[in-house]
Amino acid sequence: MSGFGRGQINYNFRKAVRLFFYGAMAVFGVAALTSILNMMLLISALVVYVNTDVRYIDGGDIMEALTLTENGYVLSEEMAQEFEKEDQWAMLLDEDGRVIWSIRKPEELKEEYSRSEIARMSKWYLQGYPVRMRVWDDRIMVVGMQKDVMWKYTMEFSLPWMEFFKRTILVFFFINFVWIVVLAFAFARRFTKNRERARIEWIAGISHDIRTPLSMVMGYADTLEQDEGLPEETRQQAAVIRHQSVVMKDLISDLNLTSQLEYSMQALRKEKVRPAEIIRGVAVSFLNDSIPELLEIDVEIDEKGEQTVVRADRQLLVRVFRNLINNSVKHGGQTEVVKIKISLRQEKRKCYIRFQDNGMGYSEEVLRRLQGRKKENAAENIRGLEIVRKIILAHGGKIWFGNCKEGGSYCVMKLRLALGSVWNSDMF
Amino acid sequence: MNLYDCKILLVDDEKALREMVCGFLRRAGFYDVTMAGNCKEAERMFYEKEPQLILLDVMLPDGDGFSLFKKWRQASEVPVIFLSARDEDENRLRGLGLGADDYITKPFLPEELILRVTAVLKRVYRVKNVQEEEIIALGKCRVDLGSGVVHWDSDIEDRTDGEVTLTAKEYAILQKLAQERGRIVTIDALCDAVWQEENYGYENTLVVHIRRLREKIEEDPSHPQYLLTVRGLGYRLV
Repeated sequence: MSGFGRGQINYNFRKAVRLFFYGAMAVFGVAALTSILNMMLLISALVVYVNTDVRYIDGGDIMEALTLTENGYVLSEEMAQEFEKEDQWAMLLDEDGRVIWSIRKPEELKEEYSRSEIARMSKWYLQGYPVRMRVWDDRIMVVGMQKDVMWKYTMEFSLPWMEFFKRTILVFFFINFVWIVVLAFAFARRFTKNRERARIEWIAGISHDIRTPLSMVMGYADTLEQDEGLPEETRQQAAVIRHQSVVMKDLISDLNLTSQLEYSMQALRKEKVRPAEIIRGVAVSFLNDSIPELLEIDVEIDEKGEQTVVRADRQLLVRVFRNLINNSVKHGGQTEVVKIKISLRQEKRKCYIRFQDNGMGYSEEVLRRLQGRKKENAAENIRGLEIVRKIILAHGGKIWFGNCKEGGSYCVMKLRLALGSVWNSDMF
Repeated sequence: MNLYDCKILLVDDEKALREMVCGFLRRAGFYDVTMAGNCKEAERMFYEKEPQLILLDVMLPDGDGFSLFKKWRQASEVPVIFLSARDEDENRLRGLGLGADDYITKPFLPEELILRVTAVLKRVYRVKNVQEEEIIALGKCRVDLGSGVVHWDSDIEDRTDGEVTLTAKEYAILQKLAQERGRIVTIDALCDAVWQEENYGYENTLVVHIRRLREKIEEDPSHPQYLLTVRGLGYRLV
């Protein structure tokens, strides 16, 4: 069951479109979910930030609240309360690094700081205390918090990098988006493929299980039919059972083939075949098994058509013509002669096969369905034609059904020629 | 060797089916049929009975027919016809290139089974069916397929020689047509019978051979009575 037939791109096109549609929906779904999730994360981050944010009391505000008196600096009552409330501290250093004023300063801190110490605290911590500095003329206001309440890190980026970042951030987001799209698409594809495979295997299993019991129904019905010791009526009934079990057999194999072609699981066993030979073979097998007065098959193949070689699954191609002829015979009426004309020609490196009969033609509904426009279960009477269509499409070919003006129906198939398929016709 | 003396081994896990097929074979005249229901039994029977034809189910309870077949093929050239209930097996079979002699998909009609069994036996052991005719009568001439000689009734005026010998190609064509007497044989099938492999491109040559053949077997070669052309398809011997 493994292995997918190649060269089924045409056939898979519609399916690919459908799959793309599903994929797009999935992408939208994922994108929507992602953005909702992102939004929620952002909002919660904001809420956490707002609720837990600790801000340094502004150095400038402190300076303004500070007045120089004879007894040194005095802070306004309001600002002092602010310090209490925020659990922060501050100190003012003069140009030599001496503390000339302070409020709530931790006791472990010194009264004088060297230049190197000031440089260090401007960037990192002061003995574990997070601090922020504000330069006021020749003085420096140091505002600090308690230990372990603030994370601090100084970041620096080279200018070219920042330029690069500014330029690429959009691309980066775009790549991100594409990545999400691809991922979602892959998942959707995988999902549908698995489901298809399960379905095909299920159908294959069922048809297998039906076949063995049906063998016995068919075999014994045939035995009874042949038994001359039985009354004529019983033998007739046995004949009906046998005939109907043959119908069931065909149904099962149609069902299996349809499901495999539908999901392109049938690994096409392609080889070089001459359609001319296949057409003749099928036509002859029908002519040999039917009453000559009821069936006429006219095969018309010119010299170039004779040389035509395509790469195809021989069995399936035989199936195509069997089904077409069967269909014409079935709907051709019991009294009139069924006249079938099959012609093969080669044009512009394509093989065209035209099949025509003298029946009553296809109904509007059947035509619509054969053109694949109407999506519904194939009615019993056109299952064979559906298979024809699927086989041709699976071979990367094209097929048209229609009614002739003079009555009867036609079907035109177009197949690609096999590469290097020009046979040497001068060999004799 | 008589066709119906051939020993047949039938391997299938379904007892009812086994018995039915065995019944078909017996009724058709094959009296020496042995049955086996699994790989183990089949192997024992294979060495014990040394069958001349094996009908082998692909799916067996203790293994699969393909590997059993491969094993047997190493030791013996005995013809094998596979029985299977899956279309997919056919692909696998052809893909494996095992060289099985034929393949039957379930369900099948007794007639089909017997036909294939007989065809394989005839091909492999080159045994002649009892009823098979050696002489084909075509109006006033008789063709002896044993010797490839055409005998004419003595009362035909313009056939003074009375006896004409067929060439190898003419013989092959006539033999094929005689096998399917009354039925149409396609050009392709005829070319296949005469030139075997790589037979494309011989259609025109075939026409030449058919004309010569007509000169030998038809009273009036330009208005053939027996070897008829079916336009666009092939020929038919009536």
